[in-house]
Amino acid sequence: MTPRLKDQTELRVVIAEDTVLLREGLRRVLTDVGLDVAGTAGDAEQLLSLVAAARPDVVLTDIRMPPTQTTEGLQAALEIRRRWPGTAVTVLSQHVETEHLFELLAGDPRGIGYVLKERVADIAQFTDAIRRVAAGESVIDPQVVSRLVARPRRDSPLETLTERELAVLALMAEGRSNHAIANQLYMSPKTVETHVGNLFAKLGLLPVAEDHRRVLAVLTYLRQ
Amino acid sequence: MSRRLLAVLIAGAIAAAGGLAWSGWPPHSDYLPILICYEVIGSSYLVAGIAAWVRWPSSRLGLLFTIAGYLYLLPYILVNLANPVAFTIGNLGQGIYTAAVAHLGLAWPTGRLRSRFECGVVIAEYVTAVGFSAAAIVFWNPAFSGCDASCPANVLLAGDGSRSAGNAINTIGGFVGLVLTGIVLTLIVRHWRSARGWSRRAMVPLVWLAGAVGIEQIVTGGVLNLPLSSLVSFGLAPLVMLAGPVLFVISTVRARTAGGALGTAIVDLGQGASPARLREALARALGDSTLQLAFGRPDESGYLDTAGRAVDVDRPGPGRVVARIAGSDEAVLVYDEGLALEPQLVKLTAAAASMALEHARLQAEVQAQLEQVRASRTRIVEAGDAERRRLERDLHDGAQQRLVTLSLALGMARDRAAQADPELGSLIESASKEAREALTELRELARGIHPAVLTETGLTGAIQALAERSPVATTITAVPDGRFPAAIEATAYFVVSEALTNVAKHAMAGGAEVTIYQRPGRLVVEVSDDGAGGARPEGGSGLRGLADRVASVGGVLRMDSPPGCGTRLEADLPCP
Repeated sequence: MTPRLKDQTELRVVIAEDTVLLREGLRRVLTDVGLDVAGTAGDAEQLLSLVAAARPDVVLTDIRMPPTQTTEGLQAALEIRRRWPGTAVTVLSQHVETEHLFELLAGDPRGIGYVLKERVADIAQFTDAIRRVAAGESVIDPQVVSRLVARPRRDSPLETLTERELAVLALMAEGRSNHAIANQLYMSPKTVETHVGNLFAKLGLLPVAEDHRRVLAVLTYLRQ
Repeated sequence: MSRRLLAVLIAGAIAAAGGLAWSGWPPHSDYLPILICYEVIGSSYLVAGIAAWVRWPSSRLGLLFTIAGYLYLLPYILVNLANPVAFTIGNLGQGIYTAAVAHLGLAWPTGRLRSRFECGVVIAEYVTAVGFSAAAIVFWNPAFSGCDASCPANVLLAGDGSRSAGNAINTIGGFVGLVLTGIVLTLIVRHWRSARGWSRRAMVPLVWLAGAVGIEQIVTGGVLNLPLSSLVSFGLAPLVMLAGPVLFVISTVRARTAGGALGTAIVDLGQGASPARLREALARALGDSTLQLAFGRPDESGYLDTAGRAVDVDRPGPGRVVARIAGSDEAVLVYDEGLALEPQLVKLTAAAASMALEHARLQAEVQAQLEQVRASRTRIVEAGDAERRRLERDLHDGAQQRLVTLSLALGMARDRAAQADPELGSLIESASKEAREALTELRELARGIHPAVLTETGLTGAIQALAERSPVATTITAVPDGRFPAAIEATAYFVVSEALTNVAKHAMAGGAEVTIYQRPGRLVVEVSDDGAGGARPEGGSGLRGLADRVASVGGVLRMDSPPGCGTRLEADLPCP
């Protein structure tokens, strides 16, 4: 059920957002960076029929949408994942809190993105997130992760981690691969692997090879 | 009764008792016990008469007791006066008191005879007592009774008298007396059987005593010439005579006991008792099971008692009396007429009923007001919550969305300007940063107004969110899945939120623990920390506001904060 990997210029995107201005802004931004916006929707129902018709590679949806303005977008995302498992989904959230995130990751975390709405201001980072999600990675907003990492804890093995290890942990939680972590922290992939091994041992987590499983393990650990 | 009459009665009683003592003194040693018996019995009737007159001014019982007392004492005084006329009258009058005692028994407990027939029986009692005495005395020579020459003469004696004639008259008189006694006893038993309520219970001792009198009459009336007759007439008869005053004492004690029991009954009745329970309590205290408590119908078409039966307060039926309850013109007591002898007790009962009804009415009023205040408080809080939800949604749909759109536009502008004009690019970048800051602040503000995550996911997500934001290490032990009424969820959320804020601010705690669990009909929220403790429940407006908030949904907030041992806050919320 790996999301279809395509040449990224051909990525077909569907956007669901109830505010017209923002919806059009998003369409413009994504078109500008070379993504194929296959359609836009103003609510969850439209979104579902649009996805059924257009079969996009990736769906970008706001969590709060009409008619109840609660979690229509999230429910639609879960529904899309159930009906078209290969479709990658990125949700735009106003919540730094993790409740919706875990609902979303509970199934298969591959090709799932959880991005805070204000992230759209940084267009490069934002489009990169969509591309990564389309490529089957998990993308968790850095702000969400940093809050989880920074949570006060007592007698937690987290306190025994070095600063480096903490940085590696946070990037893992954001859904980064070892390769990406190495690039971002200016380390060799070998060093990253060592750090990952050490910190998993310190936290008492079983080592996992796949990145998406790692994301869930780390996030679950941080959330406790 | 006037004081003068009372004074006359008391003086008469003293004179009678004194006269008997004086006339019989010094007594023949063999007669001393008999003399004392007469003294005690006669005086007790007179005392009971006076007391009954005082206690039951509306009743003739006092008069009947007094008459019986005089009829009992006077003949013996006269007999002992050593005057032939007095001696003759005294002997003639002996035994008339039995008619008075029968009269007393028939008139018990109201003092009134119930029918013409009963009047006839009583008249017959008096007439036969006097008549047969008068007839017999003509033939009675005092010498027949062992009187020597020192005895005064019988002035009515015809010739030397005739023992056989006297005996014959006495025997006939005895038969007639026995028949009358039988009639009286039958009537008393019928009274008892037909009596209800207070009267019936008042009859019980009378029936027992009447039975004893009847046996005594049969044994001593000369009908059966038993060998024990004289023993019984000198030993048992005086004791049986004491029955009358004893009856009075029993009634008095009963009224007093009932008066006392009323108070206890009202106290035991407790708060908010129904009128039916009030009636039961009063009936039990009075010993009158027929007591009715009736209320005017709202349409003024009559009265209904607590069992729903119609009551005619103008014609309450034979043997029934109506008393209105003070302070409530719509409530009446209907009770047995025997109770009317005790106006004080009736007054006490009415007062107790009035107090209880007034109390119940006030309580119902206060309860109703309290319910109204509670309901309005709940409505106010719910309205506040709804308003907060609306505000939060407005912020989200309006300002936040616009700011996001603005950020996006600024991002695009910056990317375009960056190459052409780096200075403009950095200007736009700082504007974009401001917009992001504004978004973050706005998000915090909206969350503070109303946590969207609570509406969206319920307590599980919302409490998890609180724990994630708490500056103190916070463990969630348990939060029940599922949704609860919005007001309960919001209250539970604010309890945890405020408690965690307090832990962070004041407790100097290393950690906090949140537990939410369900009990039947309740949702219990507990937040505890391992900090300094010593928090005071009245301290801080936050905690007071929280207590109000919890109370608004009918819950209870408890705080346990011993110095040095951490603080534990518990909200016990109703949860249908």
